[in-house]
Amino acid sequence: MVSIDELRDRTDWKNGLISPFIHFDDDVYREEQARVFGRAWLVVGHEDMLRKPGDYVTNYMGEVPVIVVRDLAGAIHVFLNKCAHRGVEVCLFDRGNARGFTCSYHGWSYDLEGKLVGVPMERAFYGDDLDRGAWGLEAVANVATFNGLILATFDPQAPSLAEWLGPDVCWWLETFVLAKPFGGLESLPGWHRNTSPGNWKLISENFIGDDYHVFAATHVAWLHLIREFRAQGLTHPMITYPAMTAGIVYEGSGGYERGCPFGMGLVTVGEAADLAYNRDLAEAELLGADAVEWVRERHRSLQIALKDREHKPYSFMNGLLFPNFGLMGFISPILGRHFLQFHPRGPLEHEVWQWTMVERAAPQSVKDLAIQRVYQGQHMAGLIAPDDVENFERLVEAMRARRTWDRPFHYGMRIGHEQDGPRGLPGNLGPNPSEANQRQFYKFWLGLMERPPAPAEQR
Amino acid sequence: MVTWEQKSAIEDFLYREAMLLDEYRYEEWLALFTEDAEYLVPLREQVQGDVEPAGHPLIKDDKTMLMTRIAKDATGLAHVEVPRSMTSRVISNVIVDDGASPDEVRVFCNFVVRQARKLRDEAWWVGRRRDVLRRVDGSWKIARREVILDTSILPRGISIFF
Repeated sequence: MVSIDELRDRTDWKNGLISPFIHFDDDVYREEQARVFGRAWLVVGHEDMLRKPGDYVTNYMGEVPVIVVRDLAGAIHVFLNKCAHRGVEVCLFDRGNARGFTCSYHGWSYDLEGKLVGVPMERAFYGDDLDRGAWGLEAVANVATFNGLILATFDPQAPSLAEWLGPDVCWWLETFVLAKPFGGLESLPGWHRNTSPGNWKLISENFIGDDYHVFAATHVAWLHLIREFRAQGLTHPMITYPAMTAGIVYEGSGGYERGCPFGMGLVTVGEAADLAYNRDLAEAELLGADAVEWVRERHRSLQIALKDREHKPYSFMNGLLFPNFGLMGFISPILGRHFLQFHPRGPLEHEVWQWTMVERAAPQSVKDLAIQRVYQGQHMAGLIAPDDVENFERLVEAMRARRTWDRPFHYGMRIGHEQDGPRGLPGNLGPNPSEANQRQFYKFWLGLMERPPAPAEQR
Repeated sequence: MVTWEQKSAIEDFLYREAMLLDEYRYEEWLALFTEDAEYLVPLREQVQGDVEPAGHPLIKDDKTMLMTRIAKDATGLAHVEVPRSMTSRVISNVIVDDGASPDEVRVFCNFVVRQARKLRDEAWWVGRRRDVLRRVDGSWKIARREVILDTSILPRGISIFF
């Protein structure tokens, strides 16, 4: 294992100097599976994916395959997807409805609460010796939900989810992501997945704060198209995205200088919020009267939720909850929410697992628009995400050799200006673009990596 | 009843269409679609028991959205196609059946597309297609294409057509 001192030297977040060593080195990768993914609260799904008893989805926590399932009494469990007897995966499906899980090797079977309920020829081969109670599916240490979102942790010493998130992250998540004031979110079934080169932290830091790449270079083809279509007067898909044309947008941060980082990019406040709302109204008018009414009603509910705030945000573009839960909001609540998980697959690769949610109370016309915009936008088959994947391919190609890891990357944008934004909202609002959220991401990451493993973690 | 001549003509259509894509002749390719065309790539997933179907496909484009994808490529600014991918499409197992109307046929085929990029990045796309071809002013046009990719984790972002 790399020494803590070396890791500190190479993760100089204060000065915005972070060595690619932490994105490429095998030992760092191996260690962070225990110290980051073994400790953090990790998103594993949403309650709306599990509407009926027996509904389940499979997912990963770090590199560990898990089953997220609702039992007959309605409780949600998260189990490691492996048989207690010889470790074979007991569930081979992305999602489904089942009465339990049976291993294909020796046929041990488990109910929805993870209890061992069937052992072939148990009487003959084990007599009374097998303690079924001790040999159920292995459950994770803790599972909790927050406004429908399901999170789990491997760490029995982990703080409660509410403590881990903190009140500011909770406020931003429930109001602007999980639609608490507006009736919550509805899940559209199905994982949309792709593999991509690049360490999981590189895509995570992209979502937590990198709005620089959007306009500076990566997505210029898409932006060019928007301008070109507008100039020609074409009203085609994609150009009605609420691209901002006026007002100041901010970078939002939860957990700032305190705990688990949460970041949002292109947060609309004030003039920009009014503009985004009016664009939504104009978009809704094309969809019909019920869409207009919903956008208005939603706005009234939001103003009530924000009544004590001097500055009133409306929407956000992108976001991330540490360590690997990405968000797309596209500056418009009528474009739904796209959730992405960046699962580590070795130091040089990650997998994106994406799913779509729409606001439950929205009329069908709005839901249809939101769905359409997913596969046109930030999606592996859309106009945006493939250009990101290409960048990561180039990055990995340029940096396979250890020789290239010595010189640190530059994360110095807006150092000293992190808090130059409107005050009075939970967390922090700062200038956009900025690399403040990336610095916070690596600060917190380093904190987890510095903490020595508890005895139970040493494996 | 589909005749041998018709089948032969349809096969020739599919091979020439594949050539247009392999040679980046996207405007000519787009002209092969009817105005009301639909280009669909469903999500492939493994599900068990009584569950709802996938909430949305990977791609569900109309002709305008296909044009938009081509226009993005034509800006010359899309990193994912600069430099261009090298692709070769192999189309096989062609079956032609009668369609819903005398002007239409249903065409099934298998495909292998190898995409090579830069020095050594590559992706293999393998699957089947279900097309509806329609006769418009004496020429075949694609009225509907369903692309069934045999993968549930895509090997890279999609920047090419199938």
